[in-house]
Amino acid sequence: MSDIIELQHPQQVGHEMRAEIRRISERGRGRRQLRSRIMVALCSVALAITSVPLLLLLYQLFQRGLPVVLHPSFYTQLPQTPSLVAPNATGGVSNAILGSLVLSVYAAVMAIPVGVMVGVYLAESDSKLAAMLRIISQTMAGAPSILMGLFAFSFVVRALHVGYTALAGSFALAVLMLPVIVISSEIAVRGVPNTLREAGLALGAKPHKVSMRIVLPAAVTGIVTGIILAISRAIGETAPVLLVIGGGYINSWKPLDPVSALPLSIYENAKSQWPSLRTQVWGIALVLVVFVFVLSLSARIWASRKQQAR
Amino acid sequence: MTERATGDGTEVSDVIPLDLQPHDELVGEFNSPTSSRTWYHYLLIAASIVFAAVSVGFVATILWSSLPIWAHHSGTLLGGKGWQSPTGPFGGLAMIAGTLETSIIALAIAVVIGLGTSISIVFLIPRRFRNIVATLVELLAAVPSIVYGLWGFLVLAPWMLNTVNPWLNKWPFAKEIFGNPGQQFGTSLLLASIVLAVMILPTFVAISREVITVVPQDLIEASLSLGATRWQVIREVVLPTAKVGLFGATFLALARATGETVAVALVAGGVANAQFHLLYPGTSIAAWIATQFGEAQGNEIAALMALGVLLMVLNFGLSLISRWLVNRQRRILAVV
Repeated sequence: MSDIIELQHPQQVGHEMRAEIRRISERGRGRRQLRSRIMVALCSVALAITSVPLLLLLYQLFQRGLPVVLHPSFYTQLPQTPSLVAPNATGGVSNAILGSLVLSVYAAVMAIPVGVMVGVYLAESDSKLAAMLRIISQTMAGAPSILMGLFAFSFVVRALHVGYTALAGSFALAVLMLPVIVISSEIAVRGVPNTLREAGLALGAKPHKVSMRIVLPAAVTGIVTGIILAISRAIGETAPVLLVIGGGYINSWKPLDPVSALPLSIYENAKSQWPSLRTQVWGIALVLVVFVFVLSLSARIWASRKQQAR
Repeated sequence: MTERATGDGTEVSDVIPLDLQPHDELVGEFNSPTSSRTWYHYLLIAASIVFAAVSVGFVATILWSSLPIWAHHSGTLLGGKGWQSPTGPFGGLAMIAGTLETSIIALAIAVVIGLGTSISIVFLIPRRFRNIVATLVELLAAVPSIVYGLWGFLVLAPWMLNTVNPWLNKWPFAKEIFGNPGQQFGTSLLLASIVLAVMILPTFVAISREVITVVPQDLIEASLSLGATRWQVIREVVLPTAKVGLFGATFLALARATGETVAVALVAGGVANAQFHLLYPGTSIAAWIATQFGEAQGNEIAALMALGVLLMVLNFGLSLISRWLVNRQRRILAVV
């Protein structure tokens, strides 16, 4: 009924409606803005709460680690066990630095060829095998790293009778890196513009030649970035190597020797009774974090440079 | 998942990749019957079979090594309380409870604070700082977990012992929730939860920031033009659109928290003690495997492998759920 009356006096009704709308919006406005201010402030508080522990961690890492890493002997000497006579004799961590490098190099040698080839296969193929592998790689990429250690222990240390060695540790790390490399390679290969493929096919190149000579070179930046990120993740992992590398107190690059690793010596020194070792541990952590940061930053900078060059 | 642009205009994801673009029409070309099968093709298939074999071997080996326990002592492992090395019985209740307690508390802390942080990064801080903060968050997500564990063990544990524990116990009912160890233990389930929360925060923020960033700008501007306040835009438009993706990020963070090993091994106290008083030391499945494996023999190794199987089931389940959710989010955004 009222609708009809409103239609009969459009101007008057329009005026009333505008007043009504203004009234409604004014009514809630103060409260809405107050509420908005409060919630926005709470979000800023959350940002502050996030920043404090993380920045504190970085600050303390550098503050406590820098004095340790400035001694050359930290890089050149083998670790020593402090005694009551010499409570500050900690030695260096040359074995752990070498061990970490050796482990990641062997792991990369094992994981990169297989990982890249599987990634290319997944990108180029739509077979049932490819669909299955895609699910497997995504699930494996999130598997807890301690399980890689259990796998390497059962398979390499026990079943193959290799013992606690660098080989077993790098096998565990390779299993950890594989799915990451597979997925990043697949994404990189898929990202190559179709015009490139079409041009190759139109010129009469066989599909495998197109894949090998045209697509793969075009995708190489993405593939390498993925590999570097996989290595930077593997180098910081403690759990998989903890169970299988044996924690050797020697400098060795041989695959069948027990080795140590940076994360492993952090884990062991942190629990030590000796204050000197608990001081040294910050230096080891700093070296490890610098390794990881340099790797992931260089991957990022390199990738963006290449992008700009294009 | 942290994605970044690479030289080919593609995205490379390093943490936990979720899914891929749909097939393009040329994909089948490689497999078409007209294409001659060459050594290149067979090489790729061989590599794929190696990868599949490694993955199947991964699951099968751990299952096989734990068989003695599943055959005879599965009830003890799932519900038993004590862990007697080296002969048994091996009860897993303390580890299962510890894993769930620490990761759920950590997740609750990290999701609330992380969501606020991502919203601040995307909508509140000045545009020119945004990339710097985002890069910093991704770098922090790359810091090895052992470093978080070290910091928790050498910095936070003494602080808990001297400051937090006495303070917490001043409150009424605190004793019922937290227990009252006095100044006995610095390492505890509560500390493990806090360290886990700090550790998964960068991961959660990195993913949720991306999910929030891709909410279409049109929707945000439309609601601003209707007179919505900042918070109304966030609450009525951004969060509902990003909801499913945020759940995906949550499950990924939970999967990471449950699988975390050495950080928890350092700060949880390493005691197989099934209880719910958070200020007392405890352990988690992964941490218990790490701390016990060195001295384990015979059946104890099998029992630790069986705990590994539990962890694997839990983790695979969580990552399946999260992938399903994130794929749904992509479909939602495709419709919008």
